[in-house]
Parts: sequence; C-alpha cells; structure tokens
Amino acid sequence: MSLTTYGWLVIAFPLAGSIILGLGHKVLKGKTAGAIGSSAILLSFLSGLGALRSLQSRPEGSRQVVSSLWTYAHTGGLDVQFSILVDPLSLLMVLVVAGVSTLIHLYSVAYMASDEGYVRFFAYLNFFVFSMLMLVLAGNLILLAVGWGLVGAASYLLISFWYRRNTATKAGIKAFVINVVGDVGIVLGAIVIIQGTGAVDLLTVFAKAPHVWHTNDPQIVVGCLLLMVGAFAKSAQVPFHTWLPDAMEGPTPVSALIHAATMVTAGVYLIARMHPLFQIATTASDVGAIGGAVTLLVAATIGLVVTDLKRVIAYSTMSQIGYMIMAVSAGVYGAGLFHLMTHAFFKALLFMAAGSVIGAMAGEQNLDRMGGFRKVMPITYGCFIVGGLALSGIPPFSGFFSKDDILLGLGTQGGWYWALYVAGYVGALMTAIYTFRMIFRAFHGEPCEEAKSLADGRLFHAAEHRNPGDGTLEDTGVGYPGAKHHIAERSPSMSISMGVLAILATIGGVIQLPKVTNTLDHFLDPTFRDSPKFGIPIDYNLMAIGMVIGAVLGLLGIYMAWVIWVKKPGTSARIQARFALPYKLFSNKWYFDEIIAFLIVRPFAATGRFFQRTVERVVVDGAITAGPVSIARASSAAVRSWQSGMLRAYAAAVIVGAALVVLYLMLQA
Amino acid sequence: MELTLLLFLPLATGLLGAVLGNRLVKPAAVLGGLGTLGVAVGLALNYDTALGGSQFTVDKLWVKPLGIHWALTIDGLNLALVVLTAFVYASVVVACAVREQENPRLFYFHLGLGASAVLGAFLAQDLILFVLFFDLMLVPFYFLVGQWGTGERVAATTKMVIYTLAGSLLMLAAAVATGALAASHHGRHIDFLISNLQRLPLGKGTQQWIFLCFAAAFLVKMPAVPLHGWLKDAYKSMPLPVLALFSGVLSKVAAYGFLKLALPLFPDAAASFQDLLLAIGVISILYGSALAFTTNDARLVVGYSSIAQLGFILIGIFSLTSDGAQGALLQMVNHGVVTVALVMIVGVLASRAKGSEDLGSMGGIAMGAPVLAVVFLIAAFANLAMPASANFIGEFLILKGVFDSVTVVAVIACLGVAMAAVYMLRAYIRAMHGPDTNGVEQRDLSFREALPILPAIALILALAVSPQPLLKRSEGPATAAVIPAAKAANIDPIQTATTAQAKR
Amino acid sequence: MNIGWYLAVSTIIFAIGAAGVLTKRNALVILLCLELMLNAGNLALVAFSRMWGNGDGQIFAIIVMVVAACEVTVGLGLIVAIHRRGLAVDADELSELRG
Repeated sequence: MSLTTYGWLVIAFPLAGSIILGLGHKVLKGKTAGAIGSSAILLSFLSGLGALRSLQSRPEGSRQVVSSLWTYAHTGGLDVQFSILVDPLSLLMVLVVAGVSTLIHLYSVAYMASDEGYVRFFAYLNFFVFSMLMLVLAGNLILLAVGWGLVGAASYLLISFWYRRNTATKAGIKAFVINVVGDVGIVLGAIVIIQGTGAVDLLTVFAKAPHVWHTNDPQIVVGCLLLMVGAFAKSAQVPFHTWLPDAMEGPTPVSALIHAATMVTAGVYLIARMHPLFQIATTASDVGAIGGAVTLLVAATIGLVVTDLKRVIAYSTMSQIGYMIMAVSAGVYGAGLFHLMTHAFFKALLFMAAGSVIGAMAGEQNLDRMGGFRKVMPITYGCFIVGGLALSGIPPFSGFFSKDDILLGLGTQGGWYWALYVAGYVGALMTAIYTFRMIFRAFHGEPCEEAKSLADGRLFHAAEHRNPGDGTLEDTGVGYPGAKHHIAERSPSMSISMGVLAILATIGGVIQLPKVTNTLDHFLDPTFRDSPKFGIPIDYNLMAIGMVIGAVLGLLGIYMAWVIWVKKPGTSARIQARFALPYKLFSNKWYFDEIIAFLIVRPFAATGRFFQRTVERVVVDGAITAGPVSIARASSAAVRSWQSGMLRAYAAAVIVGAALVVLYLMLQA
Repeated sequence: MELTLLLFLPLATGLLGAVLGNRLVKPAAVLGGLGTLGVAVGLALNYDTALGGSQFTVDKLWVKPLGIHWALTIDGLNLALVVLTAFVYASVVVACAVREQENPRLFYFHLGLGASAVLGAFLAQDLILFVLFFDLMLVPFYFLVGQWGTGERVAATTKMVIYTLAGSLLMLAAAVATGALAASHHGRHIDFLISNLQRLPLGKGTQQWIFLCFAAAFLVKMPAVPLHGWLKDAYKSMPLPVLALFSGVLSKVAAYGFLKLALPLFPDAAASFQDLLLAIGVISILYGSALAFTTNDARLVVGYSSIAQLGFILIGIFSLTSDGAQGALLQMVNHGVVTVALVMIVGVLASRAKGSEDLGSMGGIAMGAPVLAVVFLIAAFANLAMPASANFIGEFLILKGVFDSVTVVAVIACLGVAMAAVYMLRAYIRAMHGPDTNGVEQRDLSFREALPILPAIALILALAVSPQPLLKRSEGPATAAVIPAAKAANIDPIQTATTAQAKR
Repeated sequence: MNIGWYLAVSTIIFAIGAAGVLTKRNALVILLCLELMLNAGNLALVAFSRMWGNGDGQIFAIIVMVVAACEVTVGLGLIVAIHRRGLAVDADELSELRG
C-alpha cells in the first residue's frame, strides 16, 4: 500500500469505530464496545507504522506527500481539497497520538467497565482520536481548522461526559467556548495567510511565504499572532488556560489522553507545522516563546498549592506544554517535539496512576484526604514514581533528556533566550517539588481510611456518591464512580497499559541521546530542513553544564518535597503562614478566573440582559414598533369616524359631492 | 413548463386536499410535499452544471398592458434555494401530518400556498412577479398564525403583517419606478424582466432611494436589527411546523432578493450603502447573539440565532466579494436545514417538559434519550458553525470575503462566532444535561417525531462531508451578482493568488 | 317646445326625490324617493334624446328602468326580510356597519 493510503487508513479506522459504536450503542453488551474501540485505534496505530515504513523507504527529498480524496470547497478565491499531508512531523504526531490512545483505550476497558455510559465513552473517545488525527494529517488550512474544531468538540463531549454533574457541564462549556475563541484565531489567521499567498494548501503556502513576506512583515505577524491565539487556547497557555484545570471533570482516561498527552499539544504541533511562517514572523514567535515561559512558571506555582490530585497534574501539564511552546516558538523544533513525545508517555502514565488512586478513594480526589497508599498499591506507586522522576527530569528517565534538549537549544541561541533558559530551570525545580509533594502526600504518611480498607483486601466503596467538585449527591447513572471502582492492582488491562507507558517513560529518551542517537532529529529533518535554526551545532560544554544543573535541580526539588512533607510534616503550614501573600495568589490561581469573569463574562452577560430587558422594550417594542403601530391606529380611527352607518348621511355626502362637481364644471365653463 | 408545475404543485395539492375532504387532506398534502421535493431534486439533477446559466426557462407575456411577464428560471443562484424550499416544505408537511390540526383542509391549503409563493419568489425573473410572490408569502402566514397559533396570536400576526407590508409597499413603489424609468430610458413599452433592467444608467440619487426601498422590505423580512420587532411575538405564537417553514425559507427570500435584485440592478447605490448594510449586519449578529444567550425560551433561542445568522449572510453579501456572496448562499441553505431540525427539536423537548418551551423547565433529558441527544447536538454544532459542518465553510467564506473588503467588520463579526457557541451550548446543556430537577419525561425520539428531523440531520451531515456541489453551481452567478457593485465600490470581487500577489 | 321646461320638471322631481331620501327615515319611503330621482333622470335623458334626434338617450332610459326594477326587487326583498325579523324598517336604526 502506498504511503497516503496508510495515511487515510489512520483516519478511517477511528472514524469507523466511532460510527459503529454510535450506531450499535443499544446492541453492544459487556466489554464488546471496549474491544471495538481499542482495536480501531490499534489498527490506526498499525497503519501509522505502515506509513512510517513506507515513508522511510522514500528518498529524503520526497518525504512530504499530499493526497486528496475530493474537492471540499472551491470558490473564486479558494481551492480547498479534502487532502492530507503525510510527512515526518505529521507521522510523528500520528504515532504518538495513536500509540498513547491505544494504551489509554486499553486502560479504559477496565477503568470505565462499570460506567453506565461505557459504549458512549468509547464512541466519543474514538471520535476524539479521529479528530486529532485529522488535525495532524490535515493537508490545508481549512482541514486543519476542521480538525482543530472537532477536537474541541470531542473534548467538550468528554469533559461533560458525566453530564448530570453541573460542575462537568460548566467545565465543558467553558472549555468549548475558549476553544472556539481559539478556532476564531485559527480562522482569521488562515484568512490572513490566504490573503497573502492566495493558497490554502500547506505546502504551497510554505513555498510561497518567503516570496510574499519579508521578515516581520506586519501581515504575517498578525496572521501568526492569530494562529498563536488558537495554539494558546488549545494548549492551555496563559491567559487562555483556565479551562484546563476545570476539564479534569472528565473521566480520568480522558484527562490522560486529551488533556495531557494529545489534544493540548496541538498548539505545539501547530507552531511546528507552521514553522516557515513563524520564522518570517519573528515577533510572533517571540510572543509565543514568552507566553510559553510565563505559562510554565505560573502553572508551576499553582501546582505547588493545589490540593486536587488531578488538578496538580493538570497544572503540571500546562507547565510542561509551556516548555514545548517556548521551544517550538524559539525554533527548537526537534527538542520541542521530543518533549511532546516523552511528556505524552509520562503524563499519561501519571494520570492513569492517579485514576487508580481515585478508584481506591471511591472518586475522591482531594490530596488532603489521601495518604499511605504506598504499601497497598505497589504498581500504582511504582508508576507514580517512574512518571514523577521523568517529569522532574531525573536522569536517565525520558523527561530529563527532552527537557534538557529544549533548554540547551534555547541556551545555544543566546541573546535574550537566556532569560527563557533560566525560567526553564526555575520551572524544573518547582516541577520536582510539586510532583513529589503530590506523591508523598498520596502515598506516604499515615494511611487514610481507604488505604486501610484496601490493606484488609477490601476496595473502599462510599455509602453515597458525592461530586468531588461541589459535594452534591451524584446520580450514579451518569457519573463516577458507577457501581464499582477499579484499580490497577486488580485490573490487568490497566496495569498492562500503565506498565508499557512506564517502560516508555523510562527509556523514551534513548531515541534522542545528544551526540549518540539523534534519531528524532534525523527523522524530522525533511520537514524542518528549510529552517535556519534546525540542526545548528550544539555547544557541548553548555550541554554538559545544563545536564548537571537539570539533574541537581531535580534532585534538590525532590529532597525539598521530602523534607517539607515527609520528614517535617508541619513545614508546609509554616511556609504558608510565612508567605501568606504569594500563597493566596497561587491558591487562587493568580485570579485568572476572576479577571476573565470581570473583564469578559460579566460585561457580556450584562450587555445581553440590557438588550433583552431595556433595548428590546424601549427601542424595539417602543420607538420602532409602537410608533408606526400607533400612527396606523390613529389614522385608521380618524377615517373610521366617517363611517357612521347612517344611510342618510352617506346620501347627503353623495349629493353634496355631486353638487360640488356640477358647480366646478359650471365654473369651468 | 416544469417550473410552472413545480411552482403550483404545493398549492394544487393543498387545494386538492381541501376539496377532497378531511380524510384525504393529509395524504394529498404529504404527496404534494414529497412530489414537490421530487420535482425539485429532479430539476437539480437535470440542471446542466457544465453549461450553467438559466435553464428550464419559461417566459410568457402575462399582463400585456403592464408588460408583466410570467418568467421563471433556474440558475446557479436559486437552484439550491429552490431545492431547500421543497425540502423544508416536505419536512414540514410530514411533521404536520403526524399530528392533528384543527380544520386541516384550510391549514394545508395555506401551507401549500405559502410554499408555492416562496418557490415563485425564488423562481421569478420578472420584478413585478417577484414582488407579487413576495407579498403573497405573507397572506397564508397571516392566517396560519391568526387561526392556528397560540397565545397572543392576533396581535402577533397583525404586528407581523404591518411590519412586512410597510416594507412591501415601499418595494412595490420601487419596482414600478424601476420599470418606468427603464421604459423611458430605452424608449420602449414598459416591462419588468430583471434581465432587461440591469445596467440602467440611473442617477445616483434615484438609485439610492429605490435601493433603500428594496432594502427596507428585505431587512424587515430577514429580519435585521432594528427591524425585528415583529419576530418575538410571531415566533412565539406560530405553530411549530409553520415556524419551521417560515424561519427556514421565508427569511432566505429576503437575503436572496439582495443578491438577485438589489446588487445587480442598483450597483452604485449598493456600493454607497455598503457600510450601512455591513453595520446593520454586524449589529444583527451581536444583538441577536446577545438576546439568544439571555433568553430562556428555547424557541426564541432559535429565533434570535436566526437574526444573528442572517446578519452573517447580510455581511457576506455586502462584502461585495465573490467569496462572501457564495458563503452567504451556502449559509442560506445551511441555515434553512438547521433551522428545520432545531425547530422540530424544540417541539420534542417541549413534549418532554410537560409542554413548556422554557429552558428552565427542562434539564437532564439526555439520560433516556441518546438519539435525541445526538440529533440535537449535531444540529446545535451545525448552527454554531462548528468546523467540519457546511456552516463552517459558509461562515469561513463570508468572513474571508468581508475580511478582504472591510477587515474591521470581519473582526467584529468573529465575536458573533464565539457568542454562537455560548448560546447554542447553553441551550443544549440546559435542556439535555444537568440533574433532572424538573421531572422531565426521559423518552427517546419516537418514529413519528424522528420522521421530519432525521432527513434534515442527514442533509446536515451530507453537506458537511462535501459542500462543494452547492459551491460549484453558485460560483458563476454569485460572482456575477456582486461584480457591478464591487466595481462601483472599488473592491476586488475575486481575491485570488494572482491578484493577492499583484497587490503586494 | 323648449327643452328648458323638461329639464325644469326633471330638476324639480329630482330635488323632491333627493329631499325625500335625506329626510325620510322609513326605508320604504327612501326607496320610493330613489325611484323619483331615477325617473327624473329618465325624463332628462328622453328630453335630450328628443332634442338631438338621437336614440341613445332612450336606450339609456330603458336601461335605467331595468336597473331600477332590479333595485326595487332587491330593496323590497331586504325590507321584507328586515320586517320579518321584527326589526324596525328605519334607515337610521340600521347602522350596523358603523366603523
């Protein structure tokens, strides 16, 4: 089969899976749905592997292939084909997305087993994977926007999966609307690009861009900034990030797949995909790099104080994507995508392990209530440790190499990138602290009631299910934890998928060992070869220094977390009291929600109410409608009064009228 | 000849049903609806796209002293809208047939008359014929609201009629003036064939007042802010299937009128009022959206969202670019289909919430109704122009056209895109999601309920997969419609790669 | 004979009829007065016809008679119908069509 046939199959399988599950939702019993959903994604992954083999067998110069199925929209000024672009970059994304998705589907087979919406879940999940693959394979700007929008929709569906929870529906609409704002950015950005190049096809746009725009041409800067809005909204970067923590309302596998490993990295992919444009629009790239750096710091500080297990990981995701955005904006594409890949492994792993803990806690997510799970949940604990070490950047785990690669790339470029370099290391320290704070609080210390019950061999079940978000009583028909809960220790499919990810998170770094393998850089070369920053020689001294700093900071962070939360348990309270102001700032998430509510949500709502209550009544119903209506009424009343109904009056009018006519004629004569 | 048949089929079957009696009225109407759809689809399939232009033309001198022709045709501009009308009419008749009406004979007669009038307005190639059908559309709806409506129906229908008639009278005067001026210019007997009225060297002042008269009629019908005062009451009191027909196609006649008449006949005026109409369009988008996300009435969410969507169509047309006009045309079809689905869904929702259409009395319906939930979700996503829907392509083309001609308008209009997401999802969530606090009936779509909805959903999906068949046929005529006005406004109507590069 | 005399008589009869229509309230009498007015018109038509030696006026007069006959039939029918319903045959009372 040809390369592009594989490419189309990659998209087709998840779509088919989603349709089959959707149509068969009433028929499919037991775990059939999980099997169908998982195998659809597995087939998609295998097609991706086929495409990889086919791609690697081509000469390096022709590793960017476009295939079109039909004309999607052709107008006077636009020619949109339904086309995919298969090249090393899109294929890397396909493999990461489909690969991690396969494992998460496998995990979900057990994790969601007792959920009433089992079939629905897999239908949505397959639909998401289809959308995401559509996004990464899109061959032109319009299809990119289509994929972009569809993942937003799928994300909405999955966040609101337990739709009886008010917190979940609120989180869903919030995520969706912010993502639509991002879509608008993409659409406007696409329009600007089309206006400039007259093309929608990505490769054509890239080929024309250098001839159309000079460096920092205002048009392309605006276009790229608009694309950046889309990227920031989807990748939860400041200030478009507030939806991501709330998105944790979705089931844990969703958090692992969409809000950690795949969808939220779409912004990174976008910037990498559009690199020929961002390289012309250097101002936009700088904005992106700074935005990423700000996000990585802001999110890390919030991660230090949040008490919800999943939200800690969510803020960590924001922070890590900040690294990636910073990297690809600064032109360090290989490292950014490398980190994207390793992050997908260890973050998905952390979420899966968190799901296992939540299972043991019967849906409870508050760290304050957890403790002492180390002995009773060895697999989960091990996975947390592996994921945590990778996230903290401890050698030889994968995160160490990828994070270091990013910072090395920034440092090599010098100039003001040094500021980003420093920010990256500050972030790394905080990352290690919050990661191990989470681990120590959940697994060490005094065993909580749930851990004790597990030690007795019984999985804890709450007498009544309450929404962890707002404490309202749950409808178990739609909402966690369903009838039963599941933990990795008791579900092979959960532990297998976690085990695979744990291995990948550990050894994932080998594909890009600096000076040794550099496989990823070579692989991506056909996509990025035109980039001036791609493959600039590395300063090996800087690399050695960076690695040492990274490892030391990571270990230091872990040590600090150990001191604060294990060795001297009261320390954190003292720190909170000492630094009351920053603590308040961090625990209120830098007041972003409040600021957005104040600046955008409330004015809009007030305007809407003003229109509804005042303008409609006074202007529309009053001045515009009532005015003409009353004029019509008054004039009709005036004419009506002549119609007395008196026959003799009419006769008199006729006679007088006739007399007047005669008189007139006589006078004329 | 085929077109005359198509035009009269709904009316004739309505009349036939009325004559045949209460028992046969429904079958006659349903057959009429499906027959109309069949003829329309047949014509569309037989329309030679490669050839393009006007086909199946009928042109007979109808009223000789006044020079009025019975001139009908199908071209790329109205093809899709004619099929849309037939489709909506068929769906509406089916939706009516699965429930009971008081006095069904008269009801279906009025419905058929309405559909025939709309078809006539789309097909007419004579200005007076257009005006005639445009006004005729109002008559059956006056009765349909007045007799079969609910609530304050008489007040609502009176308000609607006064509004629309005011606009129509202006349009009639303008149409007569156009014909007379053309006759005196060419020095021949008066006639109103639209093709003969183009390229009149009218003075700018004359063009302007004539254009404004037409615009007033169209803006009332769409409706655009601030001429939408009749909408709320009329929507509230219309029977739901009637509302589907009304909202689905009548508003499109007005938008079509801009493309068919106002732009080609009075290009200078269109160019000079471009800013005004763009402003009205943008205000409609923002104002309609703001109303839609504050109302609690499910029906009014659809109504106000129509104001916003027609605002998009208006700015698309008055971008005076080929892409904008094509986007507007595509969006007319999309909006028609989506509206039918949404209006019918509102009916289903109300039946689950003890007959109330208040969003506050719904909640949690999705639980027992997965099919309904999916169907509603598809319609809602389409209405908010979710990427991958044909509405997205329509809106994209509109925004692109507007961006190319008046950038700032496009940027403001984008707010409407985000607001659409808010109001559609808000309505969806409040009806379908959340805890079941109001004791709604959790029942899935029954076969009868699904019958008129599912075809619309299928059409939404089909258009999403490929909107190209519509775009292909409308490219030529839509471009031709905007070119004179674009020239007058000094706008490049077709932004292509070459022109974009030449400009730099 | 001078046409003036005929016209004078016609005018007088017309005026009497008109005055009757305006002053009488009984529908029957109004109908009678209307007949007077019509016949005054007929008289004038015939006189003019005679004067010009042309038959048109007489034809008109005959048409007017036919119309008058129809009118009387309908009018009397209405009056009888009103009377049968027990209503007063009074033109002023019958003002249902007041706007």
